[in-house]
Amino acid sequence: MATDPTISLKIRTALAEYLKRDPDRILVTQDLREDLGLDSMAVIELLYRIEEAFDLQIPDQDLVGLTTVGHVVIYVEKRLGKLTPVAPIKKSATPLKAAKQSKPSKPKSKTKS
Amino acid sequence: MRARVVVTGLGVVSPIGIGISDFWKAALAGQSGISAISSFDPFPIEGYRSKVAGQVRDFAVERFIDSVHGERVDRYAQFGLVAAKEALADSGLRMAKENPHRIGVIVGAGMGGMVMGEREITQLYQQQKPHRVHPNFIPVITLNSASGIIAMAYGAKGPNLTISTACSSSAHALGQALHCIREGRADVVIAVGADASITPLVFAGFCSLRALSSKYNDNPEKASRPFDRLRDGFVMGEGAGALILESAAHAKKRKARVYAEIAGYAATSEAYHMVIPREDGLEVANTMKLALTDAGLTPAQVDYINAHATSTTIGDAVEVKAIRQLFKSRADKITISATKSLIGHTLGAAGAIGGIASVLALYTGKIHPTANYDDPDPACALAGLSRSAQERRVKVALLNAFGFGSNNAAVVFKQATAEGRRSKG
Repeated sequence: MATDPTISLKIRTALAEYLKRDPDRILVTQDLREDLGLDSMAVIELLYRIEEAFDLQIPDQDLVGLTTVGHVVIYVEKRLGKLTPVAPIKKSATPLKAAKQSKPSKPKSKTKS
Repeated sequence: MRARVVVTGLGVVSPIGIGISDFWKAALAGQSGISAISSFDPFPIEGYRSKVAGQVRDFAVERFIDSVHGERVDRYAQFGLVAAKEALADSGLRMAKENPHRIGVIVGAGMGGMVMGEREITQLYQQQKPHRVHPNFIPVITLNSASGIIAMAYGAKGPNLTISTACSSSAHALGQALHCIREGRADVVIAVGADASITPLVFAGFCSLRALSSKYNDNPEKASRPFDRLRDGFVMGEGAGALILESAAHAKKRKARVYAEIAGYAATSEAYHMVIPREDGLEVANTMKLALTDAGLTPAQVDYINAHATSTTIGDAVEVKAIRQLFKSRADKITISATKSLIGHTLGAAGAIGGIASVLALYTGKIHPTANYDDPDPACALAGLSRSAQERRVKVALLNAFGFGSNNAAVVFKQATAEGRRSKG
């Protein structure tokens, strides 16, 4: 799935403001608690800002899955209907054949022992 | 030498009954006082994540007390007044015969006069007419309104204090009343806990903290489920509890019936976080230990714990961890119950109402059930918990109360002498 860069930037900027860091240092792979050091109260405060920024309400039961920056981005995009699916791979008419296993070539020694 | 302090009167206003008799009967039956919130007129309940609370139904203060001016006394103070009235009558104390300067009032309240408070704030911000703010706004919302009103109602001119430490407020009220009498500053203290803040803004605030249960909105009586695997947050409640604390000598002199002795107390801070408890439970364990030491007792002597047990995921687990740390192999031999499973979390009133349940356990040998303890969370399972009422000779009871702001309290009660239990003034 491809994510909307605007939404991702907005979320990372909200986090950066909260943590007083440069948004470029906030990565979608980062875990909110383990990497960014947010405790459960800070996560709630962050989500409150995100609700405000995107005019949506996040029900209690949806909080469980929001553990990384990327999870939050994808969640917001889904809620806003902005998640764009990547084009599916077309099925070919003939099945692919397994690649031949070639013997690894011996490395050329550079020096003679 | 410090005076021994006893409990000679009880009074309560709760979601499962107004009056000790109705309250205790309902508690022993495991009755739930949690119901759907009917309305926050004019706010529709649909906008709230949680839709249930422990509400006191059909309360009209004029049924209990004459000449209470409704607009001078907010709902929480009305509860406090009614509970205090019952407790005083129950104690047999005759104020006309007492030196009023030796009778104190200490109230624990978390939120105070929020019913009128929210109404006036809203009106001012909407209408922008400062001259239309009610003249009683300040006297009603000042947090010592209940302690002032109770003192005025009964002519109590001794120490008059209000303690506000969120959920541990009235456990501290009990503890400070104990200190007051031990140190000889009063013979009697009317110790009260009261809160009535199931109001649009306060309730929304707790919803925004994600602290309230929201999975059982269609089945309110299942929502408050301390220590259960499927708990999902606490349920707000309202109410008041009042205990008459008295020096043992003063009680003996007037041949008062004594429910129990209040023997120990500890007040601490975790100095950790406004709303999250320390996960290791060490400070909670320390607080319980300090209270027992103050009582001259050891963990080995505790028979019953009235747990703080709010039904939050973290809080319940931390409390059990602390209990296991302190009581070690005895942890599963102690009978435990969670009053909040029946009435919800009454905030400032919780300590007092939990204290009443503790005192009645000592006095009657009966312990109320923990409702909805259907599927014990392995992190919280203690053998002494039960969905049914239990019977046990309780000689020492421990009350826990932990408040926002990293605030912890523990109070120890012990069985009164046989002579005290039999006396009737």
